[in-house]
Amino acid sequence: MTAQQEKVAIPAQRATHRKPAISEGKRQERRLGWLLCAPAAIVMVAVTAYPILYSVWLSLQRYDLKFPENREFIGLANYATVLSNNYWWTAFGVTVLITVVSVAVELVLGMGLALIMHRTIIGRGLVRTSALIPYGIVTVVAAFSWRYAWTPGTGYLANLVAPNGAPLTERGASLAIIILAEIWKTTPFMALLLLAGLALVPDDLLKAAAMDGAGWWQRFTKVMLPVMKPAILVALLFRTLDAFRVFDNIYVLTNGANETSSVSMIAYNNLIKGLNLGIGSTMSVLIFITVAIIAFVFVKLFGTAAPGSSEEGRR
Amino acid sequence: MTAKLRWGVLDAIVVIFALIPVLWIASLSFKTTATLTDGNFVPREWTWENYKTIFQTDQFVRALINSIGIALISTLIAVVLGTMAAYAISRLDFPGKQVLVGVSLLIAMFPQVSLVTPLFNIERNLGIFDTWAGLILPYITFALPLAIYTLSAFFKQIPWDLEKAAKMDGATQGEAFRKVIAPLAAPGVFTTAILVFIFCWNDFLFAISLTSTERSRTVPAALSFFTGASQFEDPTGAISAAAVVITIPIILFVLFFQRRIVAGLTSGAVKG
Amino acid sequence: MANSYPHPRRSLRARAFAATAVLALAAPLAACGSNDEGGVPTLNLYQFPVEHMQDVIDRCNQQAAGKYKIVYQVLPRTADDQRVQMVRRLAAKDDSMDILGMDVTWTQEFASANWIREFTGTDKSDVENGTLPGPLASGEYNDKLYAAPNNTNVQLLWYRKDLVPTPPKTWAEMIQMSLQLKQQGKPYQVLTMGAQYEGLVVLFNSLVASAGGHVVSDDGKTAVMDAGALKGLDTMKTFATAGVTNPSFSNMIEDDVRHAFQNGEGAFELNWPYVWASMQSETPDLAKNVAWARYPGIDPGTQSITTIGGSNLAVSSYSRYPQLDFEAVKCLRDPESQKYLAINAGQPPSIESVYNDPEMAKAYPMKDTLLEELKNAAPRPRTPAYQNLSTVVAAELSPPDSIQPDKTADSLKKSIQDAIDSKGVLP
Repeated sequence: MTAQQEKVAIPAQRATHRKPAISEGKRQERRLGWLLCAPAAIVMVAVTAYPILYSVWLSLQRYDLKFPENREFIGLANYATVLSNNYWWTAFGVTVLITVVSVAVELVLGMGLALIMHRTIIGRGLVRTSALIPYGIVTVVAAFSWRYAWTPGTGYLANLVAPNGAPLTERGASLAIIILAEIWKTTPFMALLLLAGLALVPDDLLKAAAMDGAGWWQRFTKVMLPVMKPAILVALLFRTLDAFRVFDNIYVLTNGANETSSVSMIAYNNLIKGLNLGIGSTMSVLIFITVAIIAFVFVKLFGTAAPGSSEEGRR
Repeated sequence: MTAKLRWGVLDAIVVIFALIPVLWIASLSFKTTATLTDGNFVPREWTWENYKTIFQTDQFVRALINSIGIALISTLIAVVLGTMAAYAISRLDFPGKQVLVGVSLLIAMFPQVSLVTPLFNIERNLGIFDTWAGLILPYITFALPLAIYTLSAFFKQIPWDLEKAAKMDGATQGEAFRKVIAPLAAPGVFTTAILVFIFCWNDFLFAISLTSTERSRTVPAALSFFTGASQFEDPTGAISAAAVVITIPIILFVLFFQRRIVAGLTSGAVKG
Repeated sequence: MANSYPHPRRSLRARAFAATAVLALAAPLAACGSNDEGGVPTLNLYQFPVEHMQDVIDRCNQQAAGKYKIVYQVLPRTADDQRVQMVRRLAAKDDSMDILGMDVTWTQEFASANWIREFTGTDKSDVENGTLPGPLASGEYNDKLYAAPNNTNVQLLWYRKDLVPTPPKTWAEMIQMSLQLKQQGKPYQVLTMGAQYEGLVVLFNSLVASAGGHVVSDDGKTAVMDAGALKGLDTMKTFATAGVTNPSFSNMIEDDVRHAFQNGEGAFELNWPYVWASMQSETPDLAKNVAWARYPGIDPGTQSITTIGGSNLAVSSYSRYPQLDFEAVKCLRDPESQKYLAINAGQPPSIESVYNDPEMAKAYPMKDTLLEELKNAAPRPRTPAYQNLSTVVAAELSPPDSIQPDKTADSLKKSIQDAIDSKGVLP
């Protein structure tokens, strides 16, 4: 087959043009690489370098905007204050719960949704478009509509599911509602990324597997999933990073009552409402560190499927 | 026939779960203020009042124009820059590749709430506060990490040697790229475009912090300027109407692009 | 050369796009706020949206006869969003803000941070003349005047006169009446705001003030949870656990309460006067059966003391035209302006004489009760760290039915002290 001939032909090419071509070619390659990445890199760094560094710098200071004369450098004392505080850890726990549950559910639902969007034989356009609409609605408006829907007397869901209670006033129920709102809103995000990954699974591979007698589930786990690994990584990674910073839904639904605040909300309260730039920045840095650890774990787990790594895909 | 039925049922389930809350928002937009909280899914009293209200002043229309313009420009630039970078990352070998990938992820991870005030100060000093540029730059910046990652992931999947095969079969450089590579790159590019567009379209934090007048305020920020009859009344009807109106461009955008996501599948390039 | 790597087709296009982008970005470069036109100083008024405000501004501009021109820069609808926008720019010493429309609870904070200017001399006496004492107190910091009261607000007791012949005078009485109605199977709920937000602090403040207690010392530096404060907590707990509240009580804000009352769910409503106008237009049949009374007190012999709401006008420290600003402020909140907004925008005035104007009677049938309460109303605890205080108090008191008066009082004292000292972490 052509692919085989390809594999033989390329080493031969390389063999004949080995020494002088590689170093010149490599230099060209490098230059091209930098040139192509430069615009993106410049924009990103120019816009965020100062703000991020300034934030980190602020986290090392005691700085309350209301009392500017008390500003002073205190090293890591803010970190000690935040890390030994109950409010922080409660919010952290709530955030981890929301993240883990919603991402797990979204991965499963998203994969199912992607399969439906990909394979359905009728109403393809309708399904794909309507499946993506939840992601396209302004989050705050969607959150308001959920708030109305779950308030007894004013909303259809409350009247249907909990006619005698007020779900938004209880911790367990309101957390469930928040998670539900998150799942509804962002499953399409997962589904879209997984769909594009699905679209690249070679048909002939699947046919070959089917001819070898593999059932649907085996085809799914042994053929589709491995090919989709990069897409799954991107979807999981970015969705987890975003889920950890959940804010809008909680802000509108409960405003953090009954200890349903997330770390983003508590950082917002300290930074923007309390005007405590020191503590607020510290919380931001801590959120960032946590999220970085999560990203690191993911990338390690997925190994070579990560962008920019190794030779796979360079064939 | 049963296959169609099976898929039909699955389709229906998806559509129902996706659209019922949206219909609820639409229902809120058609309710009169008196019946807003009567708990009915279908309004008992219908009114176009809310829609009339939002188009009464040009505040909302201006915000729509700003949103469309800013989101389109940001998406365009982010996708272009992202494609260039992703191509380099997935195909070429150069030092600093891992650093770039890592740094872009770092930028995506830092909580935006702390970055807003320093950005505000920078933009004020540069004179781009309350301008389109003032929003476009941050949007591109924060969309690039996702764009680069998504595009890299998809570019890795492309068998680039097909390009060489096509050229060996006699195609020119341009033809090889256009007929062989581009269709395979399309799913990733269009997926990225949709995601970036929606991000820019729905962003609230930067929109409310880096704008101050109708000159550059986008729709999500404009929603918090809607007023009810008094200080304590939320203009829920008007906000719902506005939400319905601004979802329409999204629907159009998605409708246009969703076909192209899977267009590459049938191009035949992958067959032996 | 055999090894020529293909440049992506996009590169040419990319350059074209980049060029267009740069042009697009460079085009609209302008400073924020309005610039002076033709030598007439522009005074930018940053305020939340108020209907018909432009009429008041036009009148004042006419009166200024070319000395200055006020331009209305609208801020977001909610108080928190307004504050965020203002603080960000004040911290950056933005000189494009001249006159600020401020919530009554911000005076101390802004004054302490040197963001607003003091009213002195005739400016001060002009403002003080005729203004009700309660609202006036909300514009003061360290006994100096920093903000001129504009409109004010107090909550009233609204009740269904078809269910309740005489309004209750105390909380205990109200709870009892409600329980009786409950037994009879009639609408019985006592509706008020109980969500974890500023409104809960307002309720708490009213109860504490009515019981003669204090939350912070007069100088705003020490947390004081005295006997009166304890009594306030007690009353709140009793109320929340008596079985007379709406199931969503601990998640309700002003508009939720209004809707519930208009839906006929309650016999009593404790809310701001804005509910009257909307009742009239949305549920006129129900409105026929609604009357108002003074906010209930705690002790049978003592009148209630309620919390003052409303807004003030202040002058930014970074404004280029401070003297003109003071003049403009005095016009914007003078009796004529206040009367106009009172009748057309539902904003109760802070100047006493306006209440006696005959035109007020129709829009404010409840004005006598309002005036009575205003003469003896309490501001919220006065400290520059009020936002912090409000956040921790709301968190500790929510949900109200889980309050344990003694324990909560101790816990509150500690949290409030930390908040005042800007120590620790906000929830």
